[in-house]
Amino acid sequence: MNETMIVGLLLGSLAAMVPIVLTSVGATISERAGVVNIGYEGILMLSAFFGTIFAEMAHNGWVGLLGGALTGLALGVVHGVITVYLKGDHVIPGIGLNLIGYGGVAFGILAYWGTAGQHQVPSYAQISPLWMDAFGNSLSPMVPITFFIALLAWWMLFKTPLGLRIRSVGENPEAADALGINVELYRFTAVLIASALSGVAGAYLSVDWLGTVTKTIAAGRGFIALANMVFSGWNPLMALVGGFIFGFFDNLAIYIQNNPWLAGAIPWQFIATLPYVVTLIVVAGIIGRARPPKWDGIPYKRE
Amino acid sequence: MEEETPLLEMRNIVKVYSDGTKALKGVDIKVYKGEILGLLGENGAGKTTLMKILFGMLKPTKGTILLNGKEVRFKSPADALANGIGMVHQHFTLVEVFNALENIILRMEGHGLLSKIDVDNARKKLQKLMDDLNFQVPLDVPVENLPVGVQQRIEILKMLYRDVDILILDEPTAVLTPIEVKELFDVLKKLKSQGKTIIFISHKLNEVMEITDRVTVIRRGEVIGTVKTPEATPQLLARMMVGRDVVLRIEKPPKEPGEVILHVEDLWVKGDRGEEAVRGVSFDVRAGEIFGIAGVEGNGQSELIEAITGLRRVEKGKVKVNNVEITGKKPKELYEMGIAHIPEDRTHMGLILDMTVMENAILGMQWRKEFSRAGLMDWKSVERHTKHLIEEFDITAPGVRSPVKSLSGGNQQKLIVAREVSKKPELIIASQPTRGVDVASTEYIRNYLVRLRNENKAVLLVSADLDEVLQLSDRMAIMYEGQFMGVVKPDEVTEEQIGLMMGGVKA
Repeated sequence: MNETMIVGLLLGSLAAMVPIVLTSVGATISERAGVVNIGYEGILMLSAFFGTIFAEMAHNGWVGLLGGALTGLALGVVHGVITVYLKGDHVIPGIGLNLIGYGGVAFGILAYWGTAGQHQVPSYAQISPLWMDAFGNSLSPMVPITFFIALLAWWMLFKTPLGLRIRSVGENPEAADALGINVELYRFTAVLIASALSGVAGAYLSVDWLGTVTKTIAAGRGFIALANMVFSGWNPLMALVGGFIFGFFDNLAIYIQNNPWLAGAIPWQFIATLPYVVTLIVVAGIIGRARPPKWDGIPYKRE
Repeated sequence: MEEETPLLEMRNIVKVYSDGTKALKGVDIKVYKGEILGLLGENGAGKTTLMKILFGMLKPTKGTILLNGKEVRFKSPADALANGIGMVHQHFTLVEVFNALENIILRMEGHGLLSKIDVDNARKKLQKLMDDLNFQVPLDVPVENLPVGVQQRIEILKMLYRDVDILILDEPTAVLTPIEVKELFDVLKKLKSQGKTIIFISHKLNEVMEITDRVTVIRRGEVIGTVKTPEATPQLLARMMVGRDVVLRIEKPPKEPGEVILHVEDLWVKGDRGEEAVRGVSFDVRAGEIFGIAGVEGNGQSELIEAITGLRRVEKGKVKVNNVEITGKKPKELYEMGIAHIPEDRTHMGLILDMTVMENAILGMQWRKEFSRAGLMDWKSVERHTKHLIEEFDITAPGVRSPVKSLSGGNQQKLIVAREVSKKPELIIASQPTRGVDVASTEYIRNYLVRLRNENKAVLLVSADLDEVLQLSDRMAIMYEGQFMGVVKPDEVTEEQIGLMMGGVKA
């Protein structure tokens, strides 16, 4: 393994961590407020698709990210209205989002671009890297932005009045309500922040990292992000650590698969499980026993 | 003092709950600035309902609230807080994982939503509040790790941080140790000297006598009277709190009890919060006897029953049934020994509401040979059994296959009694057997308990309904703070004596 390969592996890991971290951070904010959403996979899919359309129309990758955020926001409104205002179950609408994502994107690619299952995003609609070397290794501006967002989310949750109130409605909405905190408003706000972040992550997949829209573009990242959120103990900074480990082993698995002499020695399926195992051990080891917010996933109705 | 305008007045407050229960029947109370008003009454008298209306948590069906002579309407606790009225609930409303500081400043953080919380400033303000009141609480420890007494102070601080003038305390001493009670009273006296007005809800006579300036006694949703504390005696208050008419008549022939069935000796049990809920209780229940336990709820009755029925760990002491030690035995083993249990909370412990009448009718007996064969339920036999119970106990049910939640409260309770009795027990433990049950079913259940006694069964009855205990028991104990204040025969005791014991004065 030479220097270029190490740099490549590292940059690849950073690129792969972006969608996981953004979604994990969003999910963390939402669950801290007490709203569970298992529909991030669907949000990733749909915002990858619509983000690309935005980007192609504007000839600008950043507009694609904005389009992704708006797509996420719109889906978040659906989830939020059902779970927060109509006091519905938190899991069912998420399943709905995922099904719409799987079906909608496969259909949308064919309907909009006329190609089956896959569409190459033209370079004018892609976000250009901050830095690139001769071997094609690159660094997206979204990498530092993701670090910044995770930091900001942590600061918001643990240092500001907004964060204190978000956490209070997730831990004990009765106590919050008794002090005049509008439980529904804070829960809804948290859902919107979460789905917008997930929307950015989805658009990042298509208009930045992968440069393509496929009918399986999310590839389980919405669920991995949820796992990462749990492993991280609902802490945005830990989500950064967990996201990097995921990204690194994700890349390592691809690297091993692409090197026949290694692939023969180690079954790739084994490597593919590594990100989960290692993240579990490392993050669980660092943060110890974490427990979810007490009212996570429970609709709040006043007596 | 009576001449000046009251700081707060509640006029003709009526509260009818959606199920038709009349909790308050036109209550008037006046509170004057700088006083401690005691609100005295039994369980279900309506004290808490009244205060929840004042704090904006419940809407009154009728009535007005005047603050400084002006009419006010509170749609939520936030409105009440904005008008300087704060309440410390019996069950605290603290965010368990937050520390004291976070709990107190919540929604009073200052500055913008997205600016950094000024923790140092909040700490300074809180320190001053605590210094003025002469107590300290740790500000940086998650409140779930703090003792109840400290949590209560945090609740009080939370209200004072919001500059309330009127502080409502709902049964504040229920969860406290005697030392903590003394400390709380010191705090209340300090607050009074600072000009705060306090409404102190309690059923404990000595505490009301000690800390209040005036006492308003509420019974069954009505104000019985208001007295100045120095002019009151515990005897007078006890009579006001307990005196009542008897509603139902039960036929009960005299009977000589037989041998001891249940023997409890020096029983100690811990409550959910780790407090000593039952502190050294001893008694016997004999065959052909109803032994009643009266007392205001939350004085250890639930924990006592849970310990006897194997649902809660016994810390110390002996429980014997027919001379066999039963502590540590599982509920199923107890059932096999001939113990039946009518639990206090029928919807959570007695029945599975979404399951059918038939399924509920054999709950706990499903493994018996008559109901299952080779691991498969024999539904025909279950149905026969259920129909038999419905007939014998006159239970009104849409059908044996309807979910049990479609039955009225009274019929649900009858189903539980029927099921437990069908276990052919020697000892029946009935906890609040007629709570929330209509008059006809109540009468039926009470008469049935007497019938069991006449059939030489041992009955242990726990009820917060004093009438029930007085009517049914052959002997009764009054429980207060985990101990028996006395064991008496209902016909040899006056209401006043019972009222005193319920309020913590030994007979």
